[in-house]
Amino acid sequence: MKLARVGAALAIASIVVGACSGSATTAPSAGGGASAAPASAAPSAVGGASAAPASAAAGAVDVKIGIELPLSGADLPNGQPTLNGVKLALAQIPVPGFNVTLNVQDDAVNGVHDPQQGAKNIQTLVNDASVMGVVGPFNSNVAKAEIPIGNAAGLVQCSPANTNISLTKPEFGAGDLRKTNPDKIAYVRVATTDDIQGAAGADIAYTIVKARKAFVIDDTETYGKALSDQFVATFTKLGGTVIGGSSHGVPKSGQGDFTSLLSLAKKDSPDFVFFGGVTATGGGLLRKQMVTAGMGAIPMGGGDGLSDGAASVKGSFLNLAGDQGDPNTYMTVAATHDIPNPTKLAADYKAMFGAEPGAYSASGYACAQVILEALKNVGADRAKVRAYVTDPSHTYDTVLGKFQFDKNGDTTQRIISDYTFDPGTKDWKFVSQKDFGAG
Amino acid sequence: MTRRPGRALLVPAILLLLATLDWSYVGTEQFVNALTIGAVYALIALGYTMVYGIIELINFAHGDVFMVGSFVTYWLLSSLGFNGTISDLPLLVVVLVGTFLAAMVVMGGIGVVIERFAYRPLRNAPRLAPLITAIGVSFILQNIIQIFFGPSPISAPQVIDVQARVNLGGVDVSVVKLFVIAVAFILMIALQTFVSRTRMGRAMRSTAIDRDAAQLMGVDINTTIAVTFFIGSALAGAAGVVQVLYLGTTNFQLGFQAGLKAFTSAVLGGIGNITGAALGGFLIGFIEVNSTVAGFSRWSEAIVFGILVLVLVFRPTGLLGQQLGERA
Amino acid sequence: MSARRLQGGSAPLRLLPGALRRGIERFAGRHQSLAVLVGVALVGAFLPVIVGVPPFSGFGNRNDFVDGFANAGVFVLLALGLNVVVGLAGLLDLGYAAFFAIGSYAYAYSASPFSHLDVPFWPMLLVGAMVAATFGILLGAPTLRLRGDYLAIVTLGFGEIVPVVFLNSDTYTNGTNGISAVYQPSAYGLFGIGSFGFGNPWPYYVTVLAIVAVAMMLLYRLQDSRLGRAWVAIREDEVAAASMGVNTVTTKLLAFAIGASTAGLAGVFNASKLSLVSPDQFGFTVSFTILAMVVLGGMGNIWGVAIGAFTLYEVQSVFLKQLTNFVHDIHLPAVDLGFLRLDISAIDFVQYQFLLYGLALVSMMLLRPEGLFPSRERKRELHESAEEAAESNEEVVQA
Repeated sequence: MKLARVGAALAIASIVVGACSGSATTAPSAGGGASAAPASAAPSAVGGASAAPASAAAGAVDVKIGIELPLSGADLPNGQPTLNGVKLALAQIPVPGFNVTLNVQDDAVNGVHDPQQGAKNIQTLVNDASVMGVVGPFNSNVAKAEIPIGNAAGLVQCSPANTNISLTKPEFGAGDLRKTNPDKIAYVRVATTDDIQGAAGADIAYTIVKARKAFVIDDTETYGKALSDQFVATFTKLGGTVIGGSSHGVPKSGQGDFTSLLSLAKKDSPDFVFFGGVTATGGGLLRKQMVTAGMGAIPMGGGDGLSDGAASVKGSFLNLAGDQGDPNTYMTVAATHDIPNPTKLAADYKAMFGAEPGAYSASGYACAQVILEALKNVGADRAKVRAYVTDPSHTYDTVLGKFQFDKNGDTTQRIISDYTFDPGTKDWKFVSQKDFGAG
Repeated sequence: MTRRPGRALLVPAILLLLATLDWSYVGTEQFVNALTIGAVYALIALGYTMVYGIIELINFAHGDVFMVGSFVTYWLLSSLGFNGTISDLPLLVVVLVGTFLAAMVVMGGIGVVIERFAYRPLRNAPRLAPLITAIGVSFILQNIIQIFFGPSPISAPQVIDVQARVNLGGVDVSVVKLFVIAVAFILMIALQTFVSRTRMGRAMRSTAIDRDAAQLMGVDINTTIAVTFFIGSALAGAAGVVQVLYLGTTNFQLGFQAGLKAFTSAVLGGIGNITGAALGGFLIGFIEVNSTVAGFSRWSEAIVFGILVLVLVFRPTGLLGQQLGERA
Repeated sequence: MSARRLQGGSAPLRLLPGALRRGIERFAGRHQSLAVLVGVALVGAFLPVIVGVPPFSGFGNRNDFVDGFANAGVFVLLALGLNVVVGLAGLLDLGYAAFFAIGSYAYAYSASPFSHLDVPFWPMLLVGAMVAATFGILLGAPTLRLRGDYLAIVTLGFGEIVPVVFLNSDTYTNGTNGISAVYQPSAYGLFGIGSFGFGNPWPYYVTVLAIVAVAMMLLYRLQDSRLGRAWVAIREDEVAAASMGVNTVTTKLLAFAIGASTAGLAGVFNASKLSLVSPDQFGFTVSFTILAMVVLGGMGNIWGVAIGAFTLYEVQSVFLKQLTNFVHDIHLPAVDLGFLRLDISAIDFVQYQFLLYGLALVSMMLLRPEGLFPSRERKRELHESAEEAAESNEEVVQA
């Protein structure tokens, strides 16, 4: 019994030690190159007070932007750079008369994004009267739990990353998500939808790579499955064949070992492999194992889930795929390549956070711009901010370029950019972009 | 540790027959894949089964010990400056032996520390208490690794050339995979010899059968249990090295699912039984590969657990478990 | 008889002064269901009040808390159900989330635009519980011959299989996307506290309190029934129980069925509150969390388990999540020790929540291996084994 107490005391002591090391300023080494290094985030992550622009004068109205992202565990590399994008926007964009801070909510439970926690978080943000708009969520199933709540409360949400079609389009059931106030949508997003991206992936495979026989793998998650289903549909329509007729699912929980699936694929000698999923659910490993299996010469493609930086960025797709895996890889991004000033954003981001921006940092920035724009025009009134943001007649000039939101809250910028690996810079290189027109 | 050798041989014989039949179905390449996947599960399962055998604890932190082992390997190799394939054979051998030894010793040590602080104080507590601390330890290990190495998957150096192949009966087979299988077999034989031939092995067996009686016979229970944890964790550490050599990547969440599968292997084989755990690991490797070959990759998880349920319904104590398992 | 049973059941009351406690115990002994009702009502009324005062008010406003309490109620229900299986009957179930999933999907399928069946919420509560109970029996049946941890692994297996089935049965479950826009209950102004809807947590809170109260009343009655004693008997010694005429097959199956039906209730309620059901909500971590709630609260003790579930949910979903904002807001001065600068306000606790959660689990178990509020019988067993251990230690010392 005595020993048990000693053990417990030790455990408690180690909490304190853990806490100390967390706050110690020596921490940049922890987390390494991962842009989401917890240590580097620590000094500024809290409450966001430090992110307030210097122009915040006395007498300014205190308002908040809510943040609803996965900020711990395996989802941290998604959430943190997005949050940092918002912080950068707040630091750079003056909003005279307002003192804008953040109300940060993490929707990861046990390290994984959780719809129930998301719903609870959005409720918390609704209940904080000073929150004028929310940036988030990141994951589609979290969005499905949140959209009805935001819609009922009239609190506008801008998602930097959601791409699932059923979130906005009434023909895919989005009307049911906003039935409390069907005419007052409260959810907009800056990324265009999966159906376009999957189609663009098939377009790359068929027209650019000139592949005719594809092998398709998905990670069984919402984003990956939607992407690969659309790839299969479009690729077949274009005249290509998909081996086995549909996608093979490899859940991440299956330890993400693709060896036996690749041995299977090899027998039918595909000339393209498409992966519906993200780096964390096995994108990089799949490419690496293709090399191991002697399939390194076969081109591979995926969606923006693979768009996470150059080969030098630790944990990125190109980094994990390795030197031999990188060539012949393709990836699409659901945004225009001609964004106004990409290098400035990256440089500013790096100066502020000491890391390369993540795939969704600019999207987070753009969402913040949208909400701040509304705030400047209509003042600190949640209902008016919602009305302003969702008004299809307003054009936003953001770091992602100019766009509007259509009547469903989808961005009118329906451009997909294609990228391929560039051996010179060891980074993604822009190939072409295609405008899929107004939806 | 089954009493009736004739019966004990029956199950492996049936499985061997099934494996041969399967070979002709899936082909050599997939057969080797199954053995490789199975080897990793088997190495982790050994630790589960040893710990369970001796203190009847489902050590849910064991999968995370494997995960930490892969990070130790990564850290070791990259801080020594090895970034890719080593083509110089003597150097490769030295590096491999060194890495295995270092990772196994470090993880063995960590296993002993975990036992000392999280399980030993609860040795006489209700049975579920250490199960909860085990999962607590699992969270702690994951979070510590996440803090130090970041939450993204990392790319780890593969010192053996992954594209090297040898020709086996007309089929090119990857050298790394053969190496992984060989390592697993060598470690299993070493473990079996240790448990059946040495004094400490005897102490472990007697503690597993009856702790109090063993104590009366002069066995130092605490040391014996600590040694069990050391060996079990060292094997998980070896599995961690194998993970890096074979897949060249790891992430802080790797341990959970691997642990679950390894635990399943241990139970499938008859928990507490070392040969059984190895057998169970390979069996799961085969089930996974077969479900992929048959086009059911989406269902492989369900198939693995479905077969587990079926096996236990007909043999309630696993394939090689004692028929009169009184452990409730 | 009832008094003895109640002592076991009211362990949390130990915190009260002696006379008061004895009074409550005497009352509760005579009017057990009423006592549960009064207890739940008191707790239910007290919680929203207490959160208005510091330090709780620093973690959010009242409606946030009530919303969280309603979620916590789901876990209380789950823990109460698992307690029947693990705590009373002694059957270690590591895949309990499967029944939660079955209840959730039963409601989501019957009451959403996905199928347009539009079955109302209230009857679905019962239907969901019954569907889950059926699966409890179906999945319990193959495990009857299994002992101890072999049972645990089979239940774990079912816990893994069920979400995979939901994930891959697109026609009935909408696959990986899950079923969204699940209908909310309609109450026709039932409680005079506004209708069910997004943004008003109170109807959910009251509903879950009612469900918990009913479940607790039924569980107390079961625990004291012939069946309850049979559970304890097979938990203590299955062979002896069987030879004394306990039908172990029906007894075990009823434990599974009743445990599963409670999870079914929780599933129906949760699906309607969250308005979304997707296959990734029911993994092993959920099963484990519920088990940890049962063990932490004190296995076999109904009130203890409820408190354990409530506490663990609040720690995980409110306390650790809001710790960063809370600590930041109270502006603790930074401690500068020269070699070490400790500024608590600057720590981003969100990054450390699993470390803290893990440490909390380990230390709570080390400090109270029998749980926060062990049932009296359990405690007695534990002390016997502790004494034995002490004796054997002495022997070692002497030797």
